[in-house]
Amino acid sequence: MKRLIRTLCLLLTLCVAAGAAAPALGENGAAQAILDGKEYTNVYKSYFSTSYPSLNYFSTSYATVREFATNCIDSLVEPDVYGNYVGALAESWEVNDDYTVWTFHIRQGQKWIDSTGAQTEYDVTAQDFVDGIRYIGDPLNDAYSLRVIRNLITGLYDYYWGLDDIDCGDDTETKREDLVARFDEIVGVKALDEYTVQYTLDNGAPYFLSLVESSMLLLPVEYDYVVAQGDDFAVDNTHMLYCGPYYVSSFERDKKIVLTKNPFYWDADKVTVDSIEYQMIPDGTTSLEMFIRGELNYTSVESEAFMSLQGGEWEKYLIPNEFSFSTNYLWLDFQGANPEFNAFIQNVNFRKALRAAVDRESLAALREPMQPARLVRNTVNAEGAIFNSQGVDYTQISPLDEIANADFSADEDAARTYMEAAIAELCDADGHIKGVEAGTVDYLPVIKTEVDGKLPVTLIYVGTNDESEIILAQLFEAMVEEAIGEDYIDVVLAFDTSGDFYGTVGGSVDGPFNYDIYWDSLSTGYADPSGILTRITSDGVENVGCYSVPEFDALIEKALSAPTFDERLEYFAQAEAYLLDNAFMIPVISSLRGYHMTYDIPHTAPRALYGCDRYKGIKVATTPITLDEYNILDEAWTSQRNARQQ
Amino acid sequence: MGKYILQRLARSVVTLIIVFTAVFMLLRFMPLNGYFPQEMIKETDEATRMTYLRNLGLLDHPFVQLWRFVQNLFQGDLGRSITVYPKVPIITLMAEKIPTTAFLGFWSMLVGIVAGISMGMMMVRYKNRLGDALGNGYILFVRAVPSLIYLFFLQIWVSRWFSLPLVYDKDIPSSWILPIICLSLSSVAWYALWIRRFMVDEENQDYVKFAYVKGLSRKEVLRRHIFRNAVIPITAYLPSDLLNIVAGSLIIETLYAIPGTGGLLTTAIKRQDNNLVQVLVLMYAALSILGVFLGDLLLALVDPRIKLTEEK
Repeated sequence: MKRLIRTLCLLLTLCVAAGAAAPALGENGAAQAILDGKEYTNVYKSYFSTSYPSLNYFSTSYATVREFATNCIDSLVEPDVYGNYVGALAESWEVNDDYTVWTFHIRQGQKWIDSTGAQTEYDVTAQDFVDGIRYIGDPLNDAYSLRVIRNLITGLYDYYWGLDDIDCGDDTETKREDLVARFDEIVGVKALDEYTVQYTLDNGAPYFLSLVESSMLLLPVEYDYVVAQGDDFAVDNTHMLYCGPYYVSSFERDKKIVLTKNPFYWDADKVTVDSIEYQMIPDGTTSLEMFIRGELNYTSVESEAFMSLQGGEWEKYLIPNEFSFSTNYLWLDFQGANPEFNAFIQNVNFRKALRAAVDRESLAALREPMQPARLVRNTVNAEGAIFNSQGVDYTQISPLDEIANADFSADEDAARTYMEAAIAELCDADGHIKGVEAGTVDYLPVIKTEVDGKLPVTLIYVGTNDESEIILAQLFEAMVEEAIGEDYIDVVLAFDTSGDFYGTVGGSVDGPFNYDIYWDSLSTGYADPSGILTRITSDGVENVGCYSVPEFDALIEKALSAPTFDERLEYFAQAEAYLLDNAFMIPVISSLRGYHMTYDIPHTAPRALYGCDRYKGIKVATTPITLDEYNILDEAWTSQRNARQQ
Repeated sequence: MGKYILQRLARSVVTLIIVFTAVFMLLRFMPLNGYFPQEMIKETDEATRMTYLRNLGLLDHPFVQLWRFVQNLFQGDLGRSITVYPKVPIITLMAEKIPTTAFLGFWSMLVGIVAGISMGMMMVRYKNRLGDALGNGYILFVRAVPSLIYLFFLQIWVSRWFSLPLVYDKDIPSSWILPIICLSLSSVAWYALWIRRFMVDEENQDYVKFAYVKGLSRKEVLRRHIFRNAVIPITAYLPSDLLNIVAGSLIIETLYAIPGTGGLLTTAIKRQDNNLVQVLVLMYAALSILGVFLGDLLLALVDPRIKLTEEK
């Protein structure tokens, strides 16, 4: 009997020890030594740089607010430290064979709490997830980035536009309250019982969990409370409820926000930091100085600051940022008001000349002076973001892999050759561009200029007057004119000084944009290429350059109706490869910016791939982490992850 | 006097109505895309954007919008912000932001007046000597050098030397020091410059020469006679300065992360937050008009020689 008890005790001890060792970095001796040598604090001090309008997580486009919401409103699932999805408010879930019906079983006994940390009378139930969709499905609530969810959940599209038709007077026969009352009947989200919520989708979505991670629109809401608040819902921390690891205990608009640990959170034991304090610090130099003085636990370090810290005592703390799923690309206007550019941009050789002229590493060096090559990206969807059922990276699926792995580094000979081919097709022998007359290009209020209808072809690059963007634009001008030749191309730079670039360059809501080329970005928002690719089809919302590529559109349609996820990715890869091979858009680099310095132990917080940073489980040391320490801990984490995958 | 005040008030109200109506209508000529955050333009289709505009009431006729605003105004409802702080009541925003800006503005104004007048008097007293040169050097420096350079220096280095906080915190009094000093730097120069000018001018007046002849010391003449006359023109600006402290400073509030009104109007105009712009314009216009009006009254009060109405 004693032996049995001893054995059980030993087993229990081993289990507890194994649990405490999460995230298992300790199996590496050097990593363990680092962890053991650190002292830890339970307050994390961070900052945000732009003001946030309100705390309404359904309607915000602000990353800061989305980060608060991610940590204060619990989602159905969450990533673990390796990026695998584990249950959060959902204890378990199942999906049907074609990934169109997702059923989640909600954790019981959870309550919504208020801004004082006190429990309210409201339970967190399946109905709260249904009501979340009810809230965003009403056009009057101005949900942000609704398109993907609206087009995915069965009936939501019809419900939304049905209400919209009533609101704008197009439908005078249906009463608004009647349609609202039919929500449960029309829309494919149901509370099967008090703790089971089921989403029915129009198309199979194996990536649905990544959408749960990234989208604010699948978060729950206590509808009775929201209705009672009316327009005041989430205007500050006292007008909203919380159910996540933290709640917003203090709120000074444009100044300070404090997140405090939710004592009633179902997984409170894993919430290692009691308080997260955010300050608004608009200036990067100030945040760096505050970090150096020990007043902040994290600061980003842009390339200019990076150079100033090199060779000093803080150099050893500079940690390169890991990844960005956002891609910077050159956006070309196919229906602009510049007749010279308009004639040339329709020609594939001209577009390829532009692609060959851009020296990606030089542009990347503006953000990452040490290892610019790691920023170079040839695809729109990021590498490491989407995988097929065999674990193959989407960007390595044929024929996209050829584009992804191609060397598009500045090739002046190729650029010149492509340009000469374009000129042979588009110009007379004396350099006149066929069908183009001299005239005025009106891109006001940014620029108005004259073109003569002859070579060199005028290209108007429009950008913001931000200092770094001006440098980038000047570099672009120099490299294009040098590679293609000033006798063939004249790059004109024009900068918007209004401070509202899209408002100015965008013109009217339904009018064309005023530019030939501008620098923009797109981000892979969840584990499916459709997040970007369906936005840039010929009639896509993001196709502000107004190209028409039926071949691309057809492949996207095939992808959307593919029977399996792997086939879907293959069609998407073909579509993206077609678009990029013909240079209808020109991806250049990832949007990754520079370096950071931090006190938090790497890989102790959930690994958020598509959504915002989560602080549950984060360990914060009392001293900054050096790059050497980071590398050892990162290596330990990588080997652990690889071991788990095997 | 009473009639004069009534006439001025009536003229002020008319001016206010004209200014407000002009701004209100001009805002309706702004491009519709300006109402959307950058991300929203990229994320949403045209139909959704039109829905958004309709929900904000921006597709109604401008006169309908004007009438709605005036009706709400008379019911004490300033409306809600539409793009900068969506749905947040403007009265709440004002209640949050104005006290912070006004608090720092008031103390910086006080520092500006005391230090500026003291510096101006010192410059006159030591005219063409070291004190005068130092004062002139300061004035030249503040007016000629771009403010961002010395403000940034003050924030980073002076805060380091004196162990002062880098950013403002309402609960830490030592964090108020640098913002107040920074806010007062230019007004110190302004008061010093004008006090010096007016006092040097007054020094050549007959009554000053007479005072010297009577045997009064230079110090007594400067303080009792010259200063009292020289300060009169400046008093006209005091009410305006006092009322305009609610406007704040964009640069200093950004540097010290002060959650005040500095830059609020600029942001509201850029983001086309019509409701917020309207309220701010109404408020600033009213304060400006009131400031000038009170300045005139104060001038008449401190200088009996000045009459605002014709005496019969």
